[in-house]
Amino acid sequence: MNGVFTAIFIISAVLLCFAAPEKFLTALMDGARTAAAVCLTLFCVYAVWMGLAAVAEECGITRGAAKLLRPACRKIFKTDSDAACEAAAMNLACDLLGAGASTPFAVKAIGEWEKEKNGYAQKLLFVINAAGFQIVPSTVIALRAGAGSAAAADIFLPSLICSAISLVLSVTAFAVSERICRAWRGRKKKRKRGGA
Amino acid sequence: MMALIIPAIFIAVMACAVYKKVNVYGCFTGGIEGAFKFVLSMLPCLAAVFMMCALFEESGLADMLIKFTSPAFSFLGIPEELTKLILIKPLSGSGSLAYLTEIIQDYGADSYVARCACVCYGSSETVFYISAVYFAGIKAKGLARPIVLSLLSALFATAAACLICRVM
Repeated sequence: MNGVFTAIFIISAVLLCFAAPEKFLTALMDGARTAAAVCLTLFCVYAVWMGLAAVAEECGITRGAAKLLRPACRKIFKTDSDAACEAAAMNLACDLLGAGASTPFAVKAIGEWEKEKNGYAQKLLFVINAAGFQIVPSTVIALRAGAGSAAAADIFLPSLICSAISLVLSVTAFAVSERICRAWRGRKKKRKRGGA
Repeated sequence: MMALIIPAIFIAVMACAVYKKVNVYGCFTGGIEGAFKFVLSMLPCLAAVFMMCALFEESGLADMLIKFTSPAFSFLGIPEELTKLILIKPLSGSGSLAYLTEIIQDYGADSYVARCACVCYGSSETVFYISAVYFAGIKAKGLARPIVLSLLSALFATAAACLICRVM
């Protein structure tokens, strides 16, 4: 992130010096304003869902659901942390429903995994989320309906297929690359040991 | 039918809370407090990312990249009109939503281009944005690999989307 941010920032700034240097500050402040506006929108979404999640947690609903998912979760993420499993399950449930409040739970799960130094699970959860799997792309359907589409929901099936492709592809690629990396690292260690 | 699911979840949880004699109001406000703290902790990351996006577009770097990459996209069977959407989507959800709206209005909601755009939008995520938020407080190493893999598979899914939209 650091590299991408710095590179884009510097290149854009240099380009802008040639094109329109007076726009530099306004562009930055517009960005900050957008961020504030997005935060406000996100707060509204998160307030609703995290409020509900807190009630569900107190009732023991999330704990029950997490108990059901624990064996699968342990296997998939190679973790022992129940709190992380619970948060990851909530995160994925929100993703599937398109509830828009998946991020806080993902951050919580990643924080829990940080305690047990489980980089694999952190990255895997990120990859799953980055594939953007969703059962009903509600935003898009609403947008099309608003623009006067004859059959706004007919992108439902193509969307589902595509997000499934994206999910399967990225998770497989990540798992394979992780294995390759580990094998490579293992060989390096062996070589070191052999040399000594 | 779909619209009923979400209220039903709320009602079920509330009913369960009443049954278990949970302090609904206290928990609900507690959850909202968590949401508030979370959004506040996210604000610095978001501000930086959005500033970068604004510069990226204002400087013309975005347009240059679009011109540069659209032949590659059309080689993959992706319409040129979608290049901007595909490049912006990993950075900013609201930015790409604005383009999606534009495309739908310009080409008509039932056109091939608009349908492709909708499927691309629906089946990809704001990869850079979520990586910034997810790993904000974490000292994780080797993040480049998962990010690149996610972007590549999103690109592949986009090509697939354009193919599927032609058939379905």
